Amino acid sequence: MRLVPLRRVTAVGAATLIAFGGLGALTATPAFAATSQVSVVHGIPGQNVDVYVNGKKTLPDFAPGKVAGPLSLEEGSYDIALTKPGDDISKALLKVDDAEIPGGADISLVAHLSEDGKPALTPFANDVKKVAAGQARIIVRHTAAAPAVDVRAGGKPVFENLTNPKEAKADLPAGSVEADVVLAGTDTVAIGPADLNLKEGTATIVYAVGSAEDKTLDLVTQTITGLHSAPGGVPSGSGGQADRGLGLAWYALAAAGLLMLALGARRLVPGRR
Amino acid sequence: MTVGSPGATRKGRARLLVVAGLVLLIVVGVVAYLSRPEPSVGSSAVAALESATPTASSAPPAAAAGPEATAPAEEVAPARLEIPALKLDATVAAVGVDAETGEFDVPPSVDRVGWYRFGPGMTATAGSIVVAGHVDSADQGKGAFFRLSSLEPGDRMTLAGPDGTDRAFQVVARERYSKTRIPLDKYFARDGAPRLTLITCGGPFDSKTRHYRDNIVVTAEPVS
Repeated sequence: MRLVPLRRVTAVGAATLIAFGGLGALTATPAFAATSQVSVVHGIPGQNVDVYVNGKKTLPDFAPGKVAGPLSLEEGSYDIALTKPGDDISKALLKVDDAEIPGGADISLVAHLSEDGKPALTPFANDVKKVAAGQARIIVRHTAAAPAVDVRAGGKPVFENLTNPKEAKADLPAGSVEADVVLAGTDTVAIGPADLNLKEGTATIVYAVGSAEDKTLDLVTQTITGLHSAPGGVPSGSGGQADRGLGLAWYALAAAGLLMLALGARRLVPGRR
Repeated sequence: MTVGSPGATRKGRARLLVVAGLVLLIVVGVVAYLSRPEPSVGSSAVAALESATPTASSAPPAAAAGPEATAPAEEVAPARLEIPALKLDATVAAVGVDAETGEFDVPPSVDRVGWYRFGPGMTATAGSIVVAGHVDSADQGKGAFFRLSSLEPGDRMTLAGPDGTDRAFQVVARERYSKTRIPLDKYFARDGAPRLTLITCGGPFDSKTRHYRDNIVVTAEPVS
């Protein structure tokens, strides 16, 4: 149990606000959609919390390692607070006022530790563009109190030198991968290995959470479905036997028929010679 | 007709030419009529299935909705497809996408058909179960779906699972689209009413590129 940093939280509330300011620029906002889908991720080990949105308890007794939502939030500014379960909102552990939520976006709001171990609330805009048929998207987010890391799939580095609170992503052929997290540039495994089932047409978001110092590093996974698209085409014939259109010979036959008709008619019509 | 008179003979030959010419034209006309492509039927039924919200009653008994219903289980792969009207009983292979072209990976062997393993499976309670097969191939001849375009609304078919379970469907539509215009998103949809979509090639064949111009799409809905 590491409760100390949570008591220090209100102090860092102001600092985390900066991240919200930048979010609008990250998300493409279609003019017609004013509602955003907001998922909440709890990445601070050892403390269940109640999550308040605009003073209203929205997620009671939210456990570490869990992903909640998505909540449908109208475009606008929100006050978000995390308290110990049952505590009054005035005794918030972590609080962010006037967080700007843009319209039409898919956002993950992550309660996590900063690189130096302080609690923070960081919003990430999720890439929910369609993936090509047969593909799956993997997004990796460094939200742990740990130095720069490499993320490896099947032992090979896929994302290198990722730092808190950055993300890296790629679209890969769907399927299972064995992933682990190592300290950047080394083979020292920090987290994992873990089997990830990257389902076709989905985005799998993996959060590295916890603290290296406290040996609480872990992975939290969030999945966004419905990003599939259709294959580019269905090529299913190369013989030509099913072409029921008329071949050239039939057109020649029709032409011959017309010619005979014309010649015969000319001979039959009197007075032409 | 008076034989021997030069004028009459000429007239007779001319008549013969006219008659022969007419016969030829009629024959070509009849062949053209017989070989015309079947028109699309049932497109409105497809649109209705596409926009329908799946109902609980359309769920097959095998798919019991547990408390974790939001996390879909692995899709069940069909093993065989039977279409009595075509005297067809084909092995179904689970296929995905050709990594190079991004197109449906239709099984190379023309007597087999391919089920799109990324989409709904045979026990699906929503969305389009897609099975595609060759109409023919240059080196193997006629394929499993050679006569797909002759299916009519009402024709029955059965998807059989690996464990002996099966699910019956009934044709509601048969459509033909140019490959450049086919709304594939609609046929590969994972929402809407549960339905079985069969796809093959058809229409005019370009012997230079060795491709057909069109796709034939048959849509069938489950029958209990």
